[in-house]
Amino acid sequence: MRKINYILFGLLLGTILLSCGEKASKNDERLKTATWESIASEARGTTVNFMMWQGSTAINDYINNYVVPSVKEKYNIDLQISGGQGPEIVQLVMGEKQADIEEGQVDMVWINGETFFQLRKINGLWGPFVEQLPNAALINFEDSFISTDFQQPINGMEAPWSINQFAIVYDYKKVPNPPKNIPELENFIKEHPGTFTISNDFTGMTLLKSLLAELGGSPNALNGPFDEKKYKELSEKLWKFINDNKRYFWKEGRTFPKEQSKMHQLYANGELLIAYGFSEGGIEDKVLNGLYPKTTKGYAWENGTIRNSNYLGILYNAPQKAGAMQVINFLLSPEAQFKKADANGMDSNTVLAMDKLELEWKDKFLEARKRQYGPILEELEANAIAEPAPEYMIRLYEDFRKKVIEN
Amino acid sequence: MKTKKPNIGIVLFVAIGVVPFAAAFVYALLYSFGIIGVANQGFTLRFWESVLASGTFFKSLGYSVVIALVAVSLSVGGALWVTLKFRRQLEKRILSFVIYLPLAIPGIVTGFFTFQLFSKGGFFARISHKLGFITEASQFPDLVNDGLAVGIILSFITMVMPFFVLLFLNVYKNERIEELSILAQSLGANSRQVVHCVFLPILIRKTWVLIILYFIFLLGAYEVPLILGQESPQMLSVLIIQEIKQYDLDKISEGYVVAVLYTLLVSVAALALFLPKRKRAYAS
Amino acid sequence: MRVNWKPFVLSLAVLLILFPFVYLVFLSLASEWRFPEVWPSYLGLKNWVTVFGSETGLLRSFFSSLLISLSVAVFSTASGFMISKAVFYHPKKRTLTLLAYFPYILAPVVFAACLSFFFLKMGLFGNMTGVVVAQFIIAFPYALLFFSSFWNEKVKSYEDLVATLGGNKWQTYTKVVLPLAKGLLMICFFQTFLISWFEYGLTSIIGIGKVQTLTIKVFMFIKEANYYYGALSCCLLIFPPVVLLYFNKRYVFKKLV
Repeated sequence: MRKINYILFGLLLGTILLSCGEKASKNDERLKTATWESIASEARGTTVNFMMWQGSTAINDYINNYVVPSVKEKYNIDLQISGGQGPEIVQLVMGEKQADIEEGQVDMVWINGETFFQLRKINGLWGPFVEQLPNAALINFEDSFISTDFQQPINGMEAPWSINQFAIVYDYKKVPNPPKNIPELENFIKEHPGTFTISNDFTGMTLLKSLLAELGGSPNALNGPFDEKKYKELSEKLWKFINDNKRYFWKEGRTFPKEQSKMHQLYANGELLIAYGFSEGGIEDKVLNGLYPKTTKGYAWENGTIRNSNYLGILYNAPQKAGAMQVINFLLSPEAQFKKADANGMDSNTVLAMDKLELEWKDKFLEARKRQYGPILEELEANAIAEPAPEYMIRLYEDFRKKVIEN
Repeated sequence: MKTKKPNIGIVLFVAIGVVPFAAAFVYALLYSFGIIGVANQGFTLRFWESVLASGTFFKSLGYSVVIALVAVSLSVGGALWVTLKFRRQLEKRILSFVIYLPLAIPGIVTGFFTFQLFSKGGFFARISHKLGFITEASQFPDLVNDGLAVGIILSFITMVMPFFVLLFLNVYKNERIEELSILAQSLGANSRQVVHCVFLPILIRKTWVLIILYFIFLLGAYEVPLILGQESPQMLSVLIIQEIKQYDLDKISEGYVVAVLYTLLVSVAALALFLPKRKRAYAS
Repeated sequence: MRVNWKPFVLSLAVLLILFPFVYLVFLSLASEWRFPEVWPSYLGLKNWVTVFGSETGLLRSFFSSLLISLSVAVFSTASGFMISKAVFYHPKKRTLTLLAYFPYILAPVVFAACLSFFFLKMGLFGNMTGVVVAQFIIAFPYALLFFSSFWNEKVKSYEDLVATLGGNKWQTYTKVVLPLAKGLLMICFFQTFLISWFEYGLTSIIGIGKVQTLTIKVFMFIKEANYYYGALSCCLLIFPPVVLLYFNKRYVFKKLV
């Protein structure tokens, strides 16, 4: 028995020690000035861990069936995907910081503004690295929706991956004249009680930001750094509007869907008449999948809906920074961006500037398969507003819970 | 040789069974006081004050207790009834296998399945629509993600009741309740008396520790309320994880405050249950 | 004449028990099933073919779940059995038992959230070893307590008897203790396998999305509202235990917990 105990204990200890093998950290600063050739050669043969949101079949298909085999073939890089978004990434980085892990679990991450903000707050990102990437020269940095993320200049700490706009989704057969501003929305829900809700997640909070800007009187009302006084004043109005009309919301406003996907289901079932989401409403693939009726359309709010970009970053303790740079550079290549723009695939807008592309690619982009159902980015351009400072989002989350859900 | 042997066993026991628990508790405690944590600045009572003042914890605790209590009572009651009425039939070949099948369904599947059946776009809503009871999805009653936690309780019952049926059947056999009942009857007891004075007391006395244990398990259940719960109030585990994973980095410690409170609570329950000297039956 | 209602209730109960299995298989075959249609507009093997033919990784998840659960079951049953002897022959066994109950009744997901720091520190975060160790930590108290009733005076006197008759330790185990415990070991293996197989919250925290067991996949599909794939992964999740149950049932039934 003692023997067996020892063996068991030994096994356990062994596994612990085996997975403990930490190597000394390399001098990563060097990569920030190294030539691309040396970075590329260092990247060859590495295994890169990419943590990203895996909540969509189209995105998973693009990554797993196109990107992973491509980087393997081109650069001999093993790209490993793991699921996780904003809070999970931040949690991981905070945990690793606290435990002083020099070689982290994850190399690169797919993030947007508020995660960028949080990661910068705890120094979780490595960089600047974007200028090192050859394909960064093709990015349309003149577009402030690309070069500024939640009012923060990206400063080479994250690479833009795609750009999109928030859109309201409706069925034109059922709702010929959907609401375009707050008073219209109020009338609409009074006429059609129970058909509108706010999802308690990123998507719902983004809608609230648009409403907040409208209450502020202009598309630019929330621009600039976070303003406590302005937030207090405008959010007060917002909560009053919501609480006054709560009884006309879905389930009389007693509860709210936890995720946008749930809200989209409710729209698909016909319980909701109005839904909304990023990627110009995310309409195309849902109609093609048979989830949404073919009579679904998308539009922007009169005072504007949020337009933003999403980004790729490298974590401060990424073991394979060169590999991550190579993968990110590939994701920004005309080839990969073009594939990603396919309306029947991932259907996301490129961040590349058309005038910087070679003619051949420019033509390809212009002739690419177009959406049949959802609006295209250009249609919503006139009503695009920039992401306000990240604190607005964080405050909205907290106050929406405290002042609406728990009220 | 005889003296060394138990020691290594005990050492291992402590290493696997005690150290992790203690470490987790100390970690949560330190975090809750802001002593550790990347976004924290050192010792503070701020998080404890804000959790205790906001009332979210107590609301969530009360909510969880009521749900677990209702689910366990209904499950135990149902299982007793099934055992009383059907024990003979349940020993037959096929049935004796079928009643084990619910054990193969985990909470996450139960939650998913309940959602598929009872949501407003789900199976029963479609049938009601077909039969003309409702004309729109929104007319179907709120059974999942609802304020009364109907969906959660339903899932809990389908998870816990089969287990108790099996348990009671087993105790029934092992404790020779059949023979005792016949004996009582031959001594002149009527069937009501047999149930009240023989059947129920023996079954409950032999299993009450397990019943309370299941109550505690349901109190900390995670998957089912995550799928079927509403946004507020939430069950304890869901609340704790949500607070720990939130966007506002300055408030993560509040999640650990709730975790500490919850851990203390179940630890006290364990002490009360298992410290007094008593013969435990069927408690593992 | 009184109608015997029991057969009706029983048949209904059987139907209710079988219904989830049938419905989940049905849902996994469906597609484009919009409200209020009672019958899906597509019914066929499409989802199964896509999932097994391409990269959603469900098959890989199935095997990693299997590997994790088997390791957890083997480790916790073996160590639970061995260590429980030391614990339940110990003079302070009541205190020790009590200590084992603390981790046993704590919600695994909360336990994991508070333990994750140590797993990070030991490099056990986001890999399969870490998930196995974490699940082992919650399955171990179960196994330990499970054997509490086994180590009684009777077994002890058997052991003494073998020793008196000149048997060595090895013989005591192979000839007496293990045969006596065989049924219990099987049940414990089965139960700890299920604890691991069904675990979600703890795995999601310790595995941080890098270890994608079946339960993680089910949840992922639920989150993206892909109910057909969700049902499919539920099928993969519930049928192995059914098979195990079929073989294990006679043990469970004879000496239930």
